[in-house]
Amino acid sequence: MKRIPFFLLIVGLSLATALAILGAPASPLSVMPRMPQIQTGTSQGIIGIKIAVPEFQSAVGESNTAALTDVFNKVLWDDLDYSGGVTLVSRSLYPLGKFSGTADIHPDEWTKPGVEAQFIAFGNARTVGDRLRVEARLWDLKSTQNNEAIGKAFTSEATEAGARLIAHQFADAIIQLIGGGIRGIALTKLAYISERTIGVKELYVMDYDGNDAHAMTAYKSIVMTPAWSPDGEKIAFTSFRRGTPDIEILSRLDRRPYTFERAGGTTITPAWSPDGSRIAFATSRDGSNTEIYVADWNGKNMRRLTVTKAVNVSPTWNPKTGHQIAFTSDRSGSPQIFIMDEDGSNVRRLVEGGGHAVEATWSPDGERIAFAWLKARTSTFDIYIHELSTGMNTQITHDAGDNERPRWAPDGRHIVFESSRNGTTQIYSMLLDGTKVRQLTSTGKNTSPAWSGYIQ
Amino acid sequence: MSSSRTRKVGLLFLTLLMLLAFACHKKTAPPPPPPPPAPAPPPPPAAPTISLRATPTTINRGGSTTLAWEASNATTVRIEPGIGEVQAMGNRSVNPTSSVTYQATAMGPGGTATDTARITVNVPPPPPPPPPPAPKPPDVSIDELFRQNVKDIYFDFDKADVRPDQVSTLQSDASWLKDHPNVRFTIAGNCDERGSAEYNLGLGDRRANAAKEYLVSQGVAGNRITTVSYGKERPACRDANEDCYQRNRHDAFTMNQ
Repeated sequence: MKRIPFFLLIVGLSLATALAILGAPASPLSVMPRMPQIQTGTSQGIIGIKIAVPEFQSAVGESNTAALTDVFNKVLWDDLDYSGGVTLVSRSLYPLGKFSGTADIHPDEWTKPGVEAQFIAFGNARTVGDRLRVEARLWDLKSTQNNEAIGKAFTSEATEAGARLIAHQFADAIIQLIGGGIRGIALTKLAYISERTIGVKELYVMDYDGNDAHAMTAYKSIVMTPAWSPDGEKIAFTSFRRGTPDIEILSRLDRRPYTFERAGGTTITPAWSPDGSRIAFATSRDGSNTEIYVADWNGKNMRRLTVTKAVNVSPTWNPKTGHQIAFTSDRSGSPQIFIMDEDGSNVRRLVEGGGHAVEATWSPDGERIAFAWLKARTSTFDIYIHELSTGMNTQITHDAGDNERPRWAPDGRHIVFESSRNGTTQIYSMLLDGTKVRQLTSTGKNTSPAWSGYIQ
Repeated sequence: MSSSRTRKVGLLFLTLLMLLAFACHKKTAPPPPPPPPAPAPPPPPAAPTISLRATPTTINRGGSTTLAWEASNATTVRIEPGIGEVQAMGNRSVNPTSSVTYQATAMGPGGTATDTARITVNVPPPPPPPPPPAPKPPDVSIDELFRQNVKDIYFDFDKADVRPDQVSTLQSDASWLKDHPNVRFTIAGNCDERGSAEYNLGLGDRRANAAKEYLVSQGVAGNRITTVSYGKERPACRDANEDCYQRNRHDAFTMNQ
């Protein structure tokens, strides 16, 4: 319900931008997004709108622009390909030619049998001073009135980063319009833990596609379990910098530290409430085992939610309601996932079965919980999706090393996780149906990913 | 002119010849002087004799030995060093502090005779080093003693309770710790590489606290004990086998500095 007005707003903005920049004739958007059913947690795959994306053309004679256009083309293609919201038509099926401006596009060539595109994204790039300017269009090839769904000139600094940014912006605009009514994630970030010297783990942040990885800490200590504030501006994490583990918070942009009152004991695994005002975490401050607590996000007003003699860690909020918390506890023997209300009442076990069921993460719509499950001591961890309404568990990784620490993308379509499938543990993302697996890190050992929300 | 030159040459030759003859003469022993003529000589005085013995010849420092000597045909008998003139026959006890060679000299009209006696003095082994400054043993390295006496304990997979076979270790840890009430220490709970990193942080915390609770129950003051969990972040070994897993499932005890 909340999504619709926002969606319309974006469409409106896109149109307004198109009008302002390209002077396109005013006409109502001819296409309402077709809404493919997103089959998550199954292997049915995703059937999205078929879109052709011929390479954007750079202005003749501008060699720097040509290099940046290559970057733009690659990033745009990957963004759409991995989005899970559209189906890309293979370039091998395209008509011959260069497709730079509106005069180059003849819809019949793109809709004929063998190509069968429904939309086409195309455009051109040039450099003006130190700015890269990309004129980008999305056409509805089947519209009988006005083909143009998006027409916008994007500008950025004329650098590789600038070209990436523009590609991400355009990709998100396309997904927004025709990707099934779900906002694109091309501008989201991933936080994770990188071990590049054995025994030293630092907090890192990178783009959602693995680019622009940079360290947020240089503690030469051990940090773990990053968690984004819902606005994507702050990262809370577990830190051994001061000896015993406790919680620290850093600003994403300037790495400024925020105070989180020291709880004492072993204080670990922070998780932000969906409104960003509170943090749930685990601490042994009051006893001989870790219990789940909630505090204001500066650590004040700590309140204990669980009372056991067991290990309780890894809380995650229901982001839809903000009133439930899932967590890991070994109160029944081996570690298992439990759900409780935010006041600690109504505790119930989520997954029946043996082994270790750990590291729960609640989907953005509140309807599913992803977790890592080691079904038997001799097997490996795999990622499962638990459907709260049916209680059904669907395995989404298979026979490929240990797969752990799943975290949802804000679009609810993607999962990021750590996997040892290729030897050293690295960060991967994929769609819920297990397709579009993408390895995002390769330097050192990388673990404990966390996907930001939408960053403004 | 001619005859005078001949004479001069002849003189020079003669001189050279005499020089040569003199040089040769120097190299040869002089002929013995002719024996003195009569009267017949009186019999020469008898040559002196002397003998010097030490019994025993080897002593330890601080011990003594006896020098015994006997001289004949002597008017004077001296023993050096340090004894001086003595009778022709006698003995004397000496206690040199280091090895020494005594020499006895007998002098008489017939000449001089000497004898020597070597006495070896064994220097005792150096005295034991001065006792280490008084109460060193406890101070020598309390750290080291801690390491020797306070042993790690080990856990079962997924478990944080003290295993029966680890109780005796904890008891002996407790006993040493009670004997050293000023020692503050840290118990670090550790886990093997299997299992979730996050869960293992909690499990390590329970393992550390399980040992702490046991020690407190044995009378070790709780305020001496710090606990920390490293989960699986600080493995003692990094192999993927049960031996290594077991080594990593432990509480590590370290003394606080």
